[in-house]
Amino acid sequence: MKQVSYPQLVDDALQIRRAFLKMHFEAKAGHLGSGLSDIDLLVYLHGAWLRDQDHFILSKGHGASSLYATLHYYGQLSDEQFATYYQDGTLLPAHPAPRALPSIPAATGSLGHGLPIAAGLCYANKYLHQNDVRTACLLSDGECDEGSVWEAALFAAHHELSNLTVIIDANGLQGFGTTESVMRLEPLRLKWGAFGFRTSEINGHDFAQIHAAMLEPADARPHCIIARTVKGKGVRFMENRLEWHYLPLSAAQYEDALIGLEEPDSLRDSSP
Amino acid sequence: MRVDFVKAVSAVLRADQRSMLISGDLGFMAFEELAAQLGPRFVNAGIAEQNMMGVAAGAALAGLRPWVYSIAPFATYRCVEQIRNDICLHDVPVRVVGNGGGYTYGMMGSTHHALEDLAVLKSLPNIELFFPCANDHVSAAVQLMAALDGPAYLRLGISAFNTDWPVQGEHPETLTRRYAGSPAAGAAPRLTVVGAGHGVQLALHALRHLGLDRERVDVFGLARFPFDLAKDAALRASVEQTRRVLFVEEHYGPGGMGESFLAAAQPLAAFRLLCARYDREQRYGSPRFHMQQCNLTPEALMAAVRASLGGDS
Repeated sequence: MKQVSYPQLVDDALQIRRAFLKMHFEAKAGHLGSGLSDIDLLVYLHGAWLRDQDHFILSKGHGASSLYATLHYYGQLSDEQFATYYQDGTLLPAHPAPRALPSIPAATGSLGHGLPIAAGLCYANKYLHQNDVRTACLLSDGECDEGSVWEAALFAAHHELSNLTVIIDANGLQGFGTTESVMRLEPLRLKWGAFGFRTSEINGHDFAQIHAAMLEPADARPHCIIARTVKGKGVRFMENRLEWHYLPLSAAQYEDALIGLEEPDSLRDSSP
Repeated sequence: MRVDFVKAVSAVLRADQRSMLISGDLGFMAFEELAAQLGPRFVNAGIAEQNMMGVAAGAALAGLRPWVYSIAPFATYRCVEQIRNDICLHDVPVRVVGNGGGYTYGMMGSTHHALEDLAVLKSLPNIELFFPCANDHVSAAVQLMAALDGPAYLRLGISAFNTDWPVQGEHPETLTRRYAGSPAAGAAPRLTVVGAGHGVQLALHALRHLGLDRERVDVFGLARFPFDLAKDAALRASVEQTRRVLFVEEHYGPGGMGESFLAAAQPLAAFRLLCARYDREQRYGSPRFHMQQCNLTPEALMAAVRASLGGDS
């Protein structure tokens, strides 16, 4: 575990949001809302929790740009590579590519694939390699519509994959509605608990809460953290708005978004 | 073939500590001993094929070499996206094994028939397909698959017309078998009969019982895709000489091995395909019943041979 400094993580998250907005503006790329909702989780994982030998699987592959921005900020992606985002010939498409980057072990994008892969990594590390490698897997809440998520949850609990941490980016919005209006997911924490996971429920923009959940005493069960988040977090006009799953930024909106990020309370929940 | 598979894969699993066996809740009277020997290297992943393929991919990304076993339709159609995204796109050494190719599970009904498994998988990148012609062909396929560093699929099946017939030659890499050549010395063959996997058993039955061995016909069995006709010199020479191919497969025609062979063997003067078919008035029964329903029989094969040869005179 790296030294955890909440002010540092808050600052990291602010800078990554700036870079994230810039890359989306320049690329005219969508999926802004879901990236902004998971950046604080990615910052905690890559800035504090993951060790060199650990794995991170972004099961919500549409969060790729926020992962690229985070990896770039922490020096795992070169300036040259980062600049190719969304350009012809890039290894950084809108969903992670297979066998492209050491920090991204698995291509994702079709939802419901990441958790089974993470479970396979955890099974191999725990029972065959018998090492202490940990795997974190970030899912979206809408992704929990997929049956394969629950197949993997059964598998992970049955095999006591205590080296697995599942984080649900629960922003309450999915492709064409709220998660509760499309197909009711709640009570999400009880569902993961009933499937055999140790569970936590936190504010996914609050580093103190994220840190506390990750440090909870382990037992034989895999861990699932329901991280309550805000889609579009940090850009007031995007927050909790479905359309920002899809829309690119205009120049005026980009300016507004950057200014909004600088407001003292724009990331109010990020302060411990 | 299942017995031969268990024997062959047991040897691989014992020899290679990186290998493991994941089963989709199948293996009664087959995997018990192996499971006890392998410890954590055997996993019953339950009735959850999508997860099973993802787990296999994850284990392979962690450096293992998993074999994943189910019956052929469940090991392929249910989880084709996992095979494509998680296994093939990552080019990891996961070996998918589908038991009951074709009509092997006849009376179990259409959900249990595997008539498009090769069609589905042959369209995916990086994966190699193996479909042994006979029980004594399985071990060689398993050994070749074990040596691959990328994905592979093994189709096991039992022909309703299984026939004992000697093999004249087998290529060590393509596994293509030569089963018969023209009988009379100096008499050039006039037709090349090619069977894919256990589909070739129809031709062997015809050789044994229906006089096919007296015709000027070469018979080959294919067992690996992509084809490599550059290596299969005897098959290539036969096709170049006859320019007439009768292809037989216990698989649906569209997307099948016959289509691919036709494309690979061009130019041909004639090509006939005996294959599985669907019928709106479908009835269910034994494997032999299903094959008779779609005219996939040794007698139909003989009729097609005679029609082909007759058209040549």
